[in-house]
Formats: sequence, structure tokens, C-alpha cells
Amino acid sequence: MNAASFSNSNDAFAANKTDRHETAEVERLIEKLAELLPSQGPITAFAFQNPLQGLEDQPFIDVLRKVYDVYGCEPFLQEGAYRKKFADGRIPVCALNEIIAEDLRPNANDKIAGLIECSELRLSMLTNSINPGTENELRWELGGVEAIRRFRLDMSHRDRENLVDSTRDWVKSDFQRTPGRPLSVTRQELAATVQKSIMRFHLGNPAALPESSWETICLSLLWRISRSRIKSVPRYRSKSTEYLRPRDLLLNAAKDDSDELVHPVLGRFCSAYLDQGYAHWQLPRRDLGFFNSFLSLFSAGGHFSSRWLRPLGKEVTRIQQAGTTAIECLEESLLALGIQPQDREAFLTRSLLAQRGWAGMVWQTETRPDRVYVPSPKGSLVEYLAVRLLLDRFAIGWIAQNSLNYRESLDQLTNYLTPHVSTDRIGESVEHRAYPILQLAQLHGWTPRQLAELSSPSWVELVREVESFSPFERRRVFHLAFERHLTHQMLDAISARAELPIAKPDIPRLQVFTCIDAREESFRRHLEEVAPDVETFGNAGFFNVPMYFRGAGEAHFTALCPIVIKPKNWVVEDVVLSLIDSDRQRANARRWLGTATHRFNTGTRGSISGALLTAVLGPLFTAPLVGRIIFPRLTAKMHRTARGFMATPPVTRLRLERSEDAPAGPDDEGIGFTLTEMIAMGERALRDTGLTSNFARLVIILGHGSNCLNNPHESAYHCGACSGAPGAANARALAAILNDRRVRSQLLVRGIAIPDETHFLGGLHNTATESIRYYDLELLPTSHVRDIKSAMEIFSRVAERNAHERCRRFETASLQFTPLEALKHVEDRSEDLAQTRPEYGNSTNAICFVGRRGRLRGMYLDRRSFLMSYDASQDNQQNGILARILAAVIPVCEGINMLYTLSAIDNSGWGSGTKLPHNITSLLGVMDGAASDLRTGLPWQGVDIHEPVRLLFVIETTAAAMQMIINENPTIARICRNGWAQLAVLDPNSNRIQQYCDGSFTDYVPLSSELPVTPSSGDWYRGQRGNLGFAMVFKEKP
Amino acid sequence: MVPNLLLTLTGIIVVVSPAALLMMLGLTTLFRYKLSEVAISRFAQTCSFTGLLASLCILAFMLATGVRDVPLEFGNWVSLHNLTGTSEIADETTSSHDSTQHATDSVAPHAGEFHLRMKFVFDRLSIPFAVMTFVLCGVIGSFAVKYLHLEPGYNRFFLFYSIFQLGMVWSSIAGTIETLFFSWELVGLSSALLVAYYHDRASPVQNGLRVWAVYRIADAAFLVAALSLHHLSGSGDFAVLMGDGDWPFGKVSITEQQALLVGSLLLIAAAGKSALVPFSGWLPRAMEGPTPSSAVFYGALSVHLGAFLLLRVSPVLEASKTLSGIVVALGLVTMIYATMATRVQSDVKSALSYASLIQVSIIVVEIGIGLRYIPLIHIIGHACIRTLQLVRAPSLLKDYSSLENAIGDHLPPSPSIWQRWLTPSTRERFYRFAWERGYMDSMLDDFVVQPFVHLFRMANRIELRCEKFLEGPTNRNNPVPKDRRRN
Repeated sequence: MNAASFSNSNDAFAANKTDRHETAEVERLIEKLAELLPSQGPITAFAFQNPLQGLEDQPFIDVLRKVYDVYGCEPFLQEGAYRKKFADGRIPVCALNEIIAEDLRPNANDKIAGLIECSELRLSMLTNSINPGTENELRWELGGVEAIRRFRLDMSHRDRENLVDSTRDWVKSDFQRTPGRPLSVTRQELAATVQKSIMRFHLGNPAALPESSWETICLSLLWRISRSRIKSVPRYRSKSTEYLRPRDLLLNAAKDDSDELVHPVLGRFCSAYLDQGYAHWQLPRRDLGFFNSFLSLFSAGGHFSSRWLRPLGKEVTRIQQAGTTAIECLEESLLALGIQPQDREAFLTRSLLAQRGWAGMVWQTETRPDRVYVPSPKGSLVEYLAVRLLLDRFAIGWIAQNSLNYRESLDQLTNYLTPHVSTDRIGESVEHRAYPILQLAQLHGWTPRQLAELSSPSWVELVREVESFSPFERRRVFHLAFERHLTHQMLDAISARAELPIAKPDIPRLQVFTCIDAREESFRRHLEEVAPDVETFGNAGFFNVPMYFRGAGEAHFTALCPIVIKPKNWVVEDVVLSLIDSDRQRANARRWLGTATHRFNTGTRGSISGALLTAVLGPLFTAPLVGRIIFPRLTAKMHRTARGFMATPPVTRLRLERSEDAPAGPDDEGIGFTLTEMIAMGERALRDTGLTSNFARLVIILGHGSNCLNNPHESAYHCGACSGAPGAANARALAAILNDRRVRSQLLVRGIAIPDETHFLGGLHNTATESIRYYDLELLPTSHVRDIKSAMEIFSRVAERNAHERCRRFETASLQFTPLEALKHVEDRSEDLAQTRPEYGNSTNAICFVGRRGRLRGMYLDRRSFLMSYDASQDNQQNGILARILAAVIPVCEGINMLYTLSAIDNSGWGSGTKLPHNITSLLGVMDGAASDLRTGLPWQGVDIHEPVRLLFVIETTAAAMQMIINENPTIARICRNGWAQLAVLDPNSNRIQQYCDGSFTDYVPLSSELPVTPSSGDWYRGQRGNLGFAMVFKEKP
Repeated sequence: MVPNLLLTLTGIIVVVSPAALLMMLGLTTLFRYKLSEVAISRFAQTCSFTGLLASLCILAFMLATGVRDVPLEFGNWVSLHNLTGTSEIADETTSSHDSTQHATDSVAPHAGEFHLRMKFVFDRLSIPFAVMTFVLCGVIGSFAVKYLHLEPGYNRFFLFYSIFQLGMVWSSIAGTIETLFFSWELVGLSSALLVAYYHDRASPVQNGLRVWAVYRIADAAFLVAALSLHHLSGSGDFAVLMGDGDWPFGKVSITEQQALLVGSLLLIAAAGKSALVPFSGWLPRAMEGPTPSSAVFYGALSVHLGAFLLLRVSPVLEASKTLSGIVVALGLVTMIYATMATRVQSDVKSALSYASLIQVSIIVVEIGIGLRYIPLIHIIGHACIRTLQLVRAPSLLKDYSSLENAIGDHLPPSPSIWQRWLTPSTRERFYRFAWERGYMDSMLDDFVVQPFVHLFRMANRIELRCEKFLEGPTNRNNPVPKDRRRN
């Protein structure tokens, strides 16, 4: 249908070639702009991607410089938040100085106006709060009198005295004693200023002034001089990327927001159009596409709709009769709104981003039809924009006409309004500009005389220097200094640890694979603490077994691999043949109950059925209501028991293998991998992590997942490498592959000898409750029963300890908990309907280590580190293994980190705000309350403990090898070169660290080589809630 | 004697426990004393639980002894004698002092007098309603204690919550129309504030204002109705008003015309509170607050308050057949409207709020056709089930996936008879009507809001003109302040 309508348009426009050319150009432009939209798809498959992914080809700081203008979101935390960190010692002065010096190099020591060194000025502007807020806040402050009568409280006594003394001397000597002396014009003016200040005290003779009033005279002089001199200094303006839509001009002129009219209508339509099956009545004629179904809906009726929408019906009819296509309509709107060709891109960007949640979802359903049940046809985003601009036209016209009495044609509106745009922005008034100078003068003891005698160029220099160090620049310096300090701490700790010998059990009792996830850091650490002869490995949680998977008793296939990969294989889980009858009965029971529940749910929303159900059965629902909320644990237990009767039988198998010649597909023959594929995957899993020899008798591969109740963002707690799904099936599949005799014999040929007594076992680590589920236990050889029993015993102790460490972060968990109580507490959290923080996910992530576990083993990393196993000594000359590892690890971890970081910086902008008013819509995402834009990003309850910093990759390899990988992989190059993540390499044979900076590696000189030592993790974190430093865990002091 | 005293005491506990919570939270807020989350939650839970226990005791007593009506007097707080024209205000201020002397006397009705009489009554209508309110408020309080953890407005939420609970409980057990009106106002106030809970965003505040505005219309009607009742029967006491029978067997002593007048006003009040046509627009908009507040407060409790009012004054309905007819018609219209509207909603909270509206309108129909116990049971059942559904609304995605897994396919679209019978173009018209939520909001804007705005603007213009005239020609250069010129 869509294609047909486009060909029509081509016919109609065949006569005009330039038009067609332009049309294609606009379409291309919109496709390009679509990269700016949030890349989040359906919330049930939460994708951790950088919200600014589309801009990664530009330097990080440059992008942040313009995000406020383009997205309206904050690039950094507020200045006050950084100043608090400064006060708490989280940002040391030396880090600030370091950043300032780098910024100013080589002019750091230049004197500004002969008063102060440039770097000192900047430091002082950072560490002291000298900038007034808005004009109104300033007026309030000046009205409060204190500001120009009393010195700042943080001035030292000596400074005060000096300032007062010099003022007094100056006034007495220069202005009082020689009344007859002729003065130059400027001097006269100055004299008048001084006189005025003194006159306020009704005293002709300054000598008679009481001591205490000199403070006020001094301040008042400073204030008057600053104000009078600053008037002639032009205001410093940074180059602005700001562009104003007609809506912004109108908002400024008429105080009426056209977006407030457009967004509810457009949002509701998007929700209806994208609905995946929630509404009982689907949008009529949805199959016509976004644009045409909109026209069709708005062509009839509507005589009573909002007044601004009423004329739309006529226009819609006209568009339908003329056969105008979406892109033509869009161009008509551009013309009608008077958008100049040079403004087109900026205008379309702003229009697209104005309601970016919905626009992004339209784009996602258009470009990733494999991830949704009801996809959108190609070109839907263009159609969305056409509808948006059509609505804009009417809303703007309505406001212009009603609030401004504007009756000309709309395309002249911009010209009409531009002169009327008011310019009273922050920092325009003289007082507002002079205020920082007044503060600086006090802080640095600049006397009124010094300021008065500064030449005009010096004033320009001073003011320019102060004003160019804008709020953005100050926050940038703060942020970078904070990040720098943390980076130093991390690199120092790693360097100190790397000096110690590699820690690795000689004969491992048990080997455990976990996901790279930062949550597994503490899990692995506790595991190694509890059982020193256990060896652990980290790998991306889909274990390089990408697949579409359907579990027993599940209706649909789920993609279990990172969002960027499209799986090529399908795997299903079957109940074993001996239990097939029981399975059938249970499936029937489930189907019956499911249908009944569904009927009941829809019934209660109906009229007559609803009346019967609610009146008759309603009171019975007090029981689950009270139970769920007042006794969550008991209710959850009852639910589990009840479900147990109907769950799929416990013994299942993965259908993993298909014949070599059958094509892969979701049908019966296509299920599974070929033997060749399995061998390749098995080899890769072992080679990537460096486990190619010294196998233990038991190797457990743990995927991870989470569970919680009443949480639309549940998927964000699952494995990020499995597109927000639990990674159990991948772990299980890998274990099965590596247990396969044929695979093992082929691996032997390729140089990996897995001993016969080694058995692989798949499992799932629940990161919320800390429980572990094991799969295919019945296939375990009897000889290994003792091994698994002792492993289970270890894991149960690890669960308690890990839960205990996690609990220190939960305000509602007591710091005095025993490990067992802590475990109970985290279990309760995941079963509580009212719990908005079942766990903290990857919050606080700050570092990603790629290298041998032995290099960092025993180090307390505070759950802040992604850990990927890699052994450089087993890699080939071209570093092929590292290259393929990093190709996935760097973008994935950077995406996770940037999403957390930006969501924590401006939660209501980049994140989805607080969870509390969230409202699930279209089965795709959440809105705030009754109606809003679709909210993407992480909710506040998921990031409130996260400290925003860019991820630091520390990779155990050589600088040359890393440089080669950067050169060869464009994605890695984009991220590292543009500073979207920090990068350092750790030498495989020493503790030398080189940092990547401006395209090359330079040696990192540790600031300290001390690493605190603690007997156990518990001793290090006990009683602490906040982020902790790094430490080394030794059972007894070495 | 002892049982009676005990009963009175228990009754006082029911009345006082929600008030105690409000005092506690209100005073600490007033004096800027910051209570910890734990302290707030303990207070809230204790008060709800005490209130619940006390009302259950009364219920048990009533069941055991067969007493069906337990009044609880708090005397006249204001009483105006000989209402004549202009002396009203003066009277009010002077006579408010002698409130204590009326403490226990049974007030003889005199037409033309006005009393603000605090009286509560426990009967077959109020006790079930109070028990339900305590259960639901208590449960939601416990839910919110954890759900709002670390939220900056934690204290504010519980303050509004306590006002709401107080209003709901006192409304249920109000024995006079003044008490009911007072509590009704508390519910309205706290509802509007809770809708606007997230005052850092524009739309919650706008929607809160909208809810508030609709409530004002309803309350104005209620106030007029209350005053008319006073004029007609000399008292706002339900016991006097409804004659000697206990609820629901009362008989009113007013004529059919009077019943129609008063009843219509009360119906407007009920329609505003219960979001009946034409006031339905506010209900989905009220879903702005945190999930627990939107859940219980609008979806389940306060939306029933209109129906409760109709039940409370049911003898008035019985006195006029026309009035009953209007009630039934209004209920039916709302039901049809809400049924259509709920079917097109693609977000869970709007869909549930319209689903609530369907049931409320059916309850209104039931009241209109003269049923009494069935609507009461219906209210309680519906409130429980809807609270659970709204509280579990964030689980929707998980529920869908587990249902789909059980059924083994995507959930079947529910077959709807009239969707199958209607032609596509008619269906489209219906869809548009439902999608635009019956144009209810824009019609209110056009026919109610706009005239008011025009009127006020005109008044503003006249005032400015007068001002100019009075200022005389000398001050012409002094511009009128900018903000006053707008509007």
C-alpha cells in the first residue's frame, strides 16, 4: 500500500523534476536525523544503548556542548551537586588544577588584568559560589541587603582588614584631602561615585566615620565601580547552536505553547497506531500506514473536538482528494510555516525530537520489525513527521490568531515574531554581570582603588575571562576533574595489584563462567574468597551462542543475544519424552486457566460482565490484595506452590542439533545448530576466555537473570547481552555443546584437550534473590555428584555473602544484618509488589577490565567493574581473539555505561524519571501519568546511586596491539578516539599502564602505589553505604 | 449503660483515628519537623488499623444486638437563628462561640435556621463503607510506604493521604449533610493535590486544576442542595430528613417537586464526584499521581462517593419518580459512553479508569431503579477488585506474557458483537468518538469554561476602564502593570 501511494506521488510529480529531487533529499535527511532518536525498542527487550549513539562520530565534549540546545537535556550534573562532591572531598583541588591547566595550556599563568593568574581565577570561580542564579534570584539577594553590606562569610579576617584599610586610606588620601585639585573627567566621575557611596552615610568627613561602616563603604564602592565600568564592556557570547522553531517564537511572544496542543493528540494517536494488542478496538484502517490512517480517522466527525482541531477535517478532506502523499504534505507544511531551506535541517531536528519517545518508537518498529508483534511499514517516520507538522500548522495558526490577533499568512509569522522575541535572558542586566566581579574582588582582596584604576582594556580582559568561563565550562571542568580523580584511583589500584603475583589455583576444584556484568564482580570475589581453589571466568552473557529461543511452556521465540546481532538459529526446549503425558495435561490445565484468567480480566473491564463479576466475586479479591501487600512473602510462597502443580515438568532438553543440510528456521527441521556451528561456538567460548588447559572436573556456566514484581522495567535487570532476557538457555546450550563427545574430539584436533572427567553444567544466577538454578542435573555422571554437592554448598554461602554486600546499598536494609538476614531481605524485595528497587542492576559501573582474572583476583572492586576474561599469551600475532572480543565488549559496555551515566545526569531528560507515575502504554513502553511522551532510558530508582563517569576500559595487552585494533574497527575507533569511553592498557608482563589520550598511548605514572589490605570483603564494606575505595583482600596479611 | 458507653467510645475511635493521623502529619509539617519514613509509616498503619478494628467492633455489636442505628453527636459548631437577609454574616461570627451549649440537645427543626452540626451515624450503609475505606486506605498506605521510598515528596504524599482518608471515613459515617459536605470537600481537596503531586511537570498541575474545577461545580451544587434541604426541613440531619426509618427504609417529608429540585442538585454533585456524563473527562486525567494514589483514590474510592451520596439520600429519590428516571438515564448514558471509551484506550491506566466508570454508572442505574443493598455490595466488590488491578497495573507486561505462554499464542482480541455488526465507516465514527473521549472535555471547555473566562475578562476590562476613569487624565503616562493587562 505504501509503495503504491509513493508511485502515485511520483506520477503526479513527474513533470517537476526538481521537486522529486528535493523530496528524496528530505527523506534522506529525515533518515539521517532518525539516528538522533532514542534507540530503545519495546521495553520488554530492554536495550542498553548510548542515548547519543547517533552522535558518537563527534567528540564527546563537543556533543555535550550542544545537547541542551538540541535535546533540552542537561549535559552534566548541576553545579551545586559538584560543589557538594568538592566539599566531601570526592573532587580534590589537584584534579581541578590539572584540568584547568590542560584547558589553558600554555597560558595558565598569564595575569588577567594584572590582578590574578588565569588558572587561579578559574579555580576560584569553581570552588566558590559566586554566580547569581536568575535575574529574579539576584534581585532577591540584593534586596536582602547583606550582599552589599557585609563581606562574604568565607573571607578570612586578614583579608577583610586589608581591604578595609586600603579603602579607607584611598578615600581619605585621594578624595578628601585635596578638594581643590583639578580632576580628569574619569577621575571626576570616580569621585562622584565615591562621594555617592559615602553620602549614603550622611557624613561629610570620612575620618569621623565609625569603623564598622567602612566594610559597607568598601563593598558599596566595589559594587558601584564594577557596575559603572562593566557597562562599557561588551557581553561575551559563545557561539550558539540554538535554533528557534516557530513554536518557540510564539511561546515567547504569546506565552501559549503549541506543543501543548499538539502533543496530547499526536501522542494518543501514536499510542493507538503502535498498539501491540492492548486496546479492544484497534485503530481502524491501521493497515493504510501512519499518515493515511490518521487522515482517515480525522476525515469524519469531529464537530465537537477542541476548537483548534476543528478546521483540520476540511484540510484532511482536501489532502485526501488531492491524493497528497505524506512527504508532499510535509513539504507543504514546511512552506506553509515559512521554513527557509537553510533552516530546514535544524527545524526538522527540533520537530522530530520534540516528542522523541514516540518518534523513536515509530522508527524502531519500522527498522526492527523482528522485535515487535505489530511492525510499522517502511517510511513510517516520514509519515509521522508529516502528521506532526500538519498538526503544528493548525496549532500555531490557532494561537497566533487568538493570542496575537495575527491574521496574515503563517509563512510570514517567523518574520513577524523575530523582532518581538524578548532578550531578557540570564546574565543580561548590569547587576547580573557585575555580581561575580564583586564576589571575586572580595575573595582575592581586590581593592576599590585597583578596580577603579584598571584601564579599559584590562576591564574587557577581566570581564571576558569571567564571562567566558560559563556555567557549561564550569560544570565540564568539575565533571572531568571528578572523573579524572576516580580514574587515578582505579589505575593506581590496578597498578598496585598488578605488581603482586598472579593469583590462580594450581589445580582448580571448580571453574565457573559468569557474565561480564558488574553485578557478577562481587559474586565472583565472594566465590573466590569462600573457596580459594575455584577459578572464575567472565564472558558476555550470551556466551557467543546467539539464538532465538523458545522455552517449554512459552508461546514465542525470544532473541538471546546483544541487540546489534540478528540471530541465525532457533532453539527450543522440550520436555523429555517420558514426561510427555504429564506435560500435555499440565499444558491443558494452563491453557484452561489462562483462558479463564484472560476472560475474567477482560470481563471485569466490560459492562454487564463486569457488573456480575465485580459484584459477585469482588469482595473475594480483598484476600489477594491484602495478602500481596501485607504478607508478600507468604503470598509468593502460596503462588509458587499453586503454580508448581501446573508448571512444565522439571526435566527438559534443549533441541540443539539439526542436520548439516537443513536450513535454519523456526520450523521443526530448522531448529538447532549444525555440528560445525557447535564446534565453532565451543572453541570460541574457550579460546576467548583463555580456558584451554588445566580443566577442573566440573565447569559451571552461569547465565544471569532477575525477577521482580510489578515492574515494567524488569527487562533492564536481566542480562544486557541477551537483549534484556535471562541468559539461562545460552549457558545451558554452551554446556551441552562442550559435553558433546564429537565436539570434544574436534576440539582435540584443534589443540584443546578437554579431559574425559570434565563435565560442563549450565545454570542461572538470579541477581535479585542470589539463588542459582542448575540445568540438566540428571545428565550429570554419578561420579560428579560429590563435586556438584560441594559446589552447591559453596554457592549457598556465596549467596548469603553477596546478598549481604548488596544490602549495604539499600536504605531499608539494616547495616547490622547477618548474611542470612540479608539473603532473606533480598528475596523479599523481589517478591514485593511495592518494591521499586528489587536490585540496582549495573548501577555504579565505572570500569571494564579485559584480561586474566588472576591479575585482579582478590581485589575489592565494589561492584563497579565489568570483568571479561582474556589471555594475551594465547592470542595470535594479529590479536584476532582480542579484536573479536572487543568488537562486542567495547560498544556493549560503553552503551550500558552511557545509558546509566546520562540517565543519572538528567533523569527526567535522558532517563524515564521516577517509576511511580509510570503508565504502560501500547504494551511497548511507559508514559508519565495520564498522557505524556513515551519515556525511554532508565528510571530514577535504577540510577539514584550511580555516579556519572565515562567507563574506563583497562585491557591487558600492548599499546601497539590496541592501536591496531582501534585502527581496524571503526566502531571502537569512534568510541575511543572521540572520548565516549576512557581507555588504558595494562602490560601483560608487568604493571606498566598506558593511557590512551588524543590518539596515542602515554605512560601512566601512579600517584600512589599503596593498596589497602583487608582480611575479607565484609570487613572492608561493613557499616558503609556509599561508594568505597579499592582494596586487596588477603586472608592473612602477606 | 456500659455497652453503650463502650459503643460511644469505639465510635469516637473511628472518628478520631484518621483525624489523629492528619494532626500528626499536619502539625509536624507545619512546624517543619521532619519525620522519618519509618515514623510516618508506623503512624499511618496504626491509625488505619485502629480505625478498622473499631469499625469492625461496631459492626459486630450491631450484628449481635440487632441495633441498626448508632448516632454520635458532636454538637452544633455554628448555628444561625432567624436567618433574615443581611444579618447573616454578623450572626455567624457571634453565634459560632456558643457551640458547646448545643452539645447534646436534639435539635428541633425550625425552617429558616442553619446549623453546622457535627454528627456521625453508624448504620447499615455507613459501617460497610467505613470498613471498606479503612481496609483499602490501610492496604494502600502500606503499599505506598515502600513504593514511595526515598521519594522527595514522601511526607507530602502522606499528608494528602491522611486528608483523603479522613475525608473518606467521615463522608461514610456523616450523620448530617453539613458533615458530609465538609468531608466531601476534604476528599476533593486532597484528590486535586494528589493529582498535581508531581508539580515539577506541567500536565499533572493542569490536570489537577481540571479535577479541582469540576469538583467546584459539583460542590456548588451540593452546597445549594444542602441549604435547600435546610430551608425545606429545617435541619441537615439525615435522621430528621429521612423520617423515622433506619437506612434504607427512610421516608422524606418533602413534596415531590421539592425532592426533584434537591435531588437534581445532589445528582449534579454526585455526577461531578463520580465522573458521570458530562463530567467524565477528569477521570483518566486523574491518573497523574504515583500509582497507589491514582489507584485507590480515583479508580476505587472517591469515584464511588457520588454513588454513595445517592444511596445516602435515597429516600429523596424515592419521593420523585422523575428524579429516579433521570438517575437511571444518566447512569445508562454514562455506561454506554464509558464502554465505548474503555475499548479504544491503549494505555492501562486510562482503560482501567474507564472500566471503573462503567461499574460506577451501573451502580447509579441500580440505585435509580430502587435497589439499595445490591449497589452497596457492588460498590464494595468493585472497589476491591479495581484497587488490586490498578495497583498491579505495572505488572501488565508480565501478566500478558504469562497469559500468552499459557494459551500458547498471542492473546485473542475479544470478540465484540457490535464491532462485527457495524459497517466499517460507522465503526470509524464510533472509534473517533471514543478516541476523543466523547468530546467531553472540549464541550466543557466550550460551554462552561469559555463563558466564564469571557465573563471574567469582561469584568477585568470594565475594572480597568473604571480605574482609568478614576485615576483621571493626569496619570495617563503610568502604564498599567503588564501582568494585569493580560487576560
